[in-house]
Amino acid sequence: MALYEGLSAEKQAVVLDLGSRYTKFGFVGEYSPRCIIPSEIRCPRTNKVRRIYDYENEQDLYSLLVAFIHKLYFKHVLVSPKDRNVVIVESLLCPTFIRDTLASVLFRHYEVSSILFVPSQLVALYALGVRSALVVDIGHEEAQVIPVYEGVPVLTAWEAQQLAGRAVENRIRDNLVRAYKDFAGASGDAPMPIPGVDVASLPESVIEDIKVRACFVTTRGRGEAIADGKPPPEPPVLEYLLEGNQMLLVPGWVRESSCEVIFERDNEEASLANLILDSIRKCPIDSRVTLAENIVLVGGTAMLPGFKARLMEELKFLMKTSYENRLAFSTVKFHTPPAKENYTCWLGGAIFGSTDMIQMRAFTRESYLTKKAVPDWSNLATNILYLSKLTI
Amino acid sequence: MSYLVQEDFVRYECTCGSLSPIPKLYFCRHCLKLRCGYCVCHEVDSHYCSNCMEHLPSAEAKMKKNRCVMCFDCPNCFHTLSIRATTRAPEDGSNKGHLKHYYLSCFFCRWTTRDVGIPDQIASSGNWPLKENPHQELLSSFLEHYKVVAMRERSQKDKKPIFPRRGYSTYTEKFGLTNLIARKRAGLPSLPLPGKEVNPASIPPIKPCVATDVIDTLPASYFTDVPDLTKITTIAQRHANPMIQATVASELHPQHRHFFIKRSLRCRSCEHNVSKPEYNPASIKFKIQQAAYYHVPEIRIKTFEPLRAGKPSEIILKVTNPTSHVTSLSFSPKSEVNKGGVSDSVILDSLGAPKKTVEIPRPVVQDEPNTQVELPTEPIVLPARDDAAEYDDSGDTHNFHDDANVVVWRKGNKAAVKFRIVPDRGMKPGDRSIFSFSMEYGYVNTMPTTAEQKSPQRAEMQVNVLIAPGLIVGNLD
Amino acid sequence: MELQDIYYDKTEYVETTSGNKVSRQTVLCGSQNIVLNGKCIVQSDAIIRGDLANVRTGRYCIISKNAVIRPPFKKFSKGVAFFPLHMGDHVYVGENSKVNAAVVGSYVHIGKNVVIGRRCVLKDCCMIEDGSVLPPETVVPSFTLYSGSPATWTENLPDCTQDIMIEYTRNYYQHFVPRPI
Repeated sequence: MALYEGLSAEKQAVVLDLGSRYTKFGFVGEYSPRCIIPSEIRCPRTNKVRRIYDYENEQDLYSLLVAFIHKLYFKHVLVSPKDRNVVIVESLLCPTFIRDTLASVLFRHYEVSSILFVPSQLVALYALGVRSALVVDIGHEEAQVIPVYEGVPVLTAWEAQQLAGRAVENRIRDNLVRAYKDFAGASGDAPMPIPGVDVASLPESVIEDIKVRACFVTTRGRGEAIADGKPPPEPPVLEYLLEGNQMLLVPGWVRESSCEVIFERDNEEASLANLILDSIRKCPIDSRVTLAENIVLVGGTAMLPGFKARLMEELKFLMKTSYENRLAFSTVKFHTPPAKENYTCWLGGAIFGSTDMIQMRAFTRESYLTKKAVPDWSNLATNILYLSKLTI
Repeated sequence: MSYLVQEDFVRYECTCGSLSPIPKLYFCRHCLKLRCGYCVCHEVDSHYCSNCMEHLPSAEAKMKKNRCVMCFDCPNCFHTLSIRATTRAPEDGSNKGHLKHYYLSCFFCRWTTRDVGIPDQIASSGNWPLKENPHQELLSSFLEHYKVVAMRERSQKDKKPIFPRRGYSTYTEKFGLTNLIARKRAGLPSLPLPGKEVNPASIPPIKPCVATDVIDTLPASYFTDVPDLTKITTIAQRHANPMIQATVASELHPQHRHFFIKRSLRCRSCEHNVSKPEYNPASIKFKIQQAAYYHVPEIRIKTFEPLRAGKPSEIILKVTNPTSHVTSLSFSPKSEVNKGGVSDSVILDSLGAPKKTVEIPRPVVQDEPNTQVELPTEPIVLPARDDAAEYDDSGDTHNFHDDANVVVWRKGNKAAVKFRIVPDRGMKPGDRSIFSFSMEYGYVNTMPTTAEQKSPQRAEMQVNVLIAPGLIVGNLD
Repeated sequence: MELQDIYYDKTEYVETTSGNKVSRQTVLCGSQNIVLNGKCIVQSDAIIRGDLANVRTGRYCIISKNAVIRPPFKKFSKGVAFFPLHMGDHVYVGENSKVNAAVVGSYVHIGKNVVIGRRCVLKDCCMIEDGSVLPPETVVPSFTLYSGSPATWTENLPDCTQDIMIEYTRNYYQHFVPRPI
């Protein structure tokens, strides 16, 4: 114990998980992030809110990140970034371009002493204390499935689709537009008043709020019925108060069916359940049972009410039907991480970062300034070195 | 103050290339260069609570997780909670007199701790219950486990590969010394015994999470009940407390108020502070304060004729000398000195001596001048700032040989200068007219840069200024 | 942009020996309890409730049209008590704003249509943006800009806010001149 205290005398490192919608930021060795804030900043010149991921070019991304990271350090964790280590939790599928720009901002502008890039899918396992798992990350932009076996990500088996928060939000908007068209069409004898709301241009924050507070993931049986055009009795309509005392009516079917976008099996057979089973099928046959019985759901969208139950139902259904006899396993099990899903990866990074790994593996400012590039597994010049570093 | 509420009509080009209004710029008296918020190094100076104005040293603030001990925030609207007192008769019916009970209440949204069933406290400071992480113990065991695993790996890595080193081993064999004794003689610490730290028994065991296939199904109430949005929390309310993320309003819990900071700014090239506030949060004084506002002549637009594309119009700028030394201003077309280069920052390497220059990418600047300007050819002398003159309403005693067509007004350290500007022909009504020029001014540095220099140093400074007076109102015809 | 001259009707305004310019169209209740420390401007239809408790302002305070300056009250078990309202030097209060603060420091800028709840404390060198609502008992620290409803920290103000405010209020006073006939 004395040794740890000796180490903590140096500046406590920070952990950054820069999501496409929300950013998680805090200190290593803590069990929850200090803040979860939208990944956006208010542009001081135009006074418009801009998302970090809506950048125009590299220079633009650079300045957005400079402003955003300033806010993280000086408004939320209240420490000076200079000469402090940073652990960055990032997806294995994170674009190199973003990673390079982020490293440039931190090393050049904020003069941090070192950065430790950790793959989010791998470190999520540290929050659970397991060595093998199938990590399903359903965030805002994408659903990503990457198996990790005995501490090594099985990169050949990754699957990803844009079946996440944004897809649900788009569906809510489409459904609302449709619902309002129906109101207008049925105006003759419908008892429903036609509220004059411009549904198509509702701000994203309102759509997100409807998603978070009013939508849910329905059961498989009801979902099938909706897809077949034989909707079950509708859940009650929600009266949502907009700014300026306008009333937005959110019909029950919109609340119920908008999340279906994640589970719909269209011709491409690319629902979330398909992705998971496909990913396991790409793994060696002797690892499949372990992976199927260790599925970890992370990401904010996985927190929708009913989400896990529905995914389980879908998986069981597919295993009995289209995937029958093709899987080599018969049960699937979900983990319940000792944290909320939206910061599980961050938590793994915070645990990982509190060990000696920063001293051993971090990429220091000196080597960045000499190499002028960030090592990455996808880069042949550095990947051998890097991959060997992934396991504890 | 016009700077606080108006948009930025006059902007100066900082050494790093960004454009800022003068209040946001700093002037490093050691490098004699302009610096802005973008190209200085920000540091956290002190932590304080914005509600009770208590300030804590950084170490203590860190222990308290940057949160005030006394103040609480409303979990519903994030305003500060106030302590309310009520008197109640003792419940046991004894006659001990009335006891005061305290609860927290929000004066903005009327949320109270009673809403979520937090019991009233007897002391006003209150030992308000705090929520602990429910997984604390499990996560601590993980942390310990992985720390030891990592330490083991590190020690294995640090251990020298075991292959016989010729020279050394023959030497020890010759004199019959073992490696161990040789080390002891040399005064080196003995090597850790192999296997001591690798001992698997020393790794604290963990209980990994267990997966399950029993998942709670969605409650049937979702299909039948109208959701009551007042009882479901918003995503901002959830994220305000990442550990709990209560989804229903009845689980909201007040949190200690987050600290604010005072920050100090440091010039990246010379590592001197350009701004350092007083420690006391209520003080508006500074230990070091080198705002450009006190060092660089200020330019303001006084008036201008309506702007029409292709038509010359007159604009009168008011220039002010904020320093206590006479200065002389001269104007020339915008200089490109600052362009293309990158601002530099000097870092010391681990030994402290050698310096390396690190480039900071230039900020993006979009505004390009679209209006021609005719500049005065003669320099304009501005007297020193004299605070006493502010109260002196009598006429000016200075005698300047000004061209009346250029300098139209003068008082104390201020002068109004007339410029002629011609917006480009192609501009349409509603376009923003922008013109720029370079201003050279004399600056007297009263700060001795080296020990030998006793007398103030005079220096000629230059800054690019970008002025956007307004919109084009019409065409020439 | 330099401030332009603001003209007032000479018959409407009273100028005191200490340089205060006070419109006749104002409601100054309990004027014996109101102290304007010199070079202050109180514009038409402003209300200052000196009848509730003492109101004291510093030098160079500008109270715009329709503003209400009202000492704050506190409820006790035995009733309600009003507390004096102190305002520092170089304070600007925008049009239609209601100020119920306990203390307004020096060099403070309060925008238009702002509501400052009772017993707020505005420290020196702070600014409240137009249309904000400051809930009761808020403390606004120095060098911060608060906005929104409830008003929260939005931005930091520049270090030279003090001099900017001095300059502005002085300038305002100098440009607040009787309409030439």
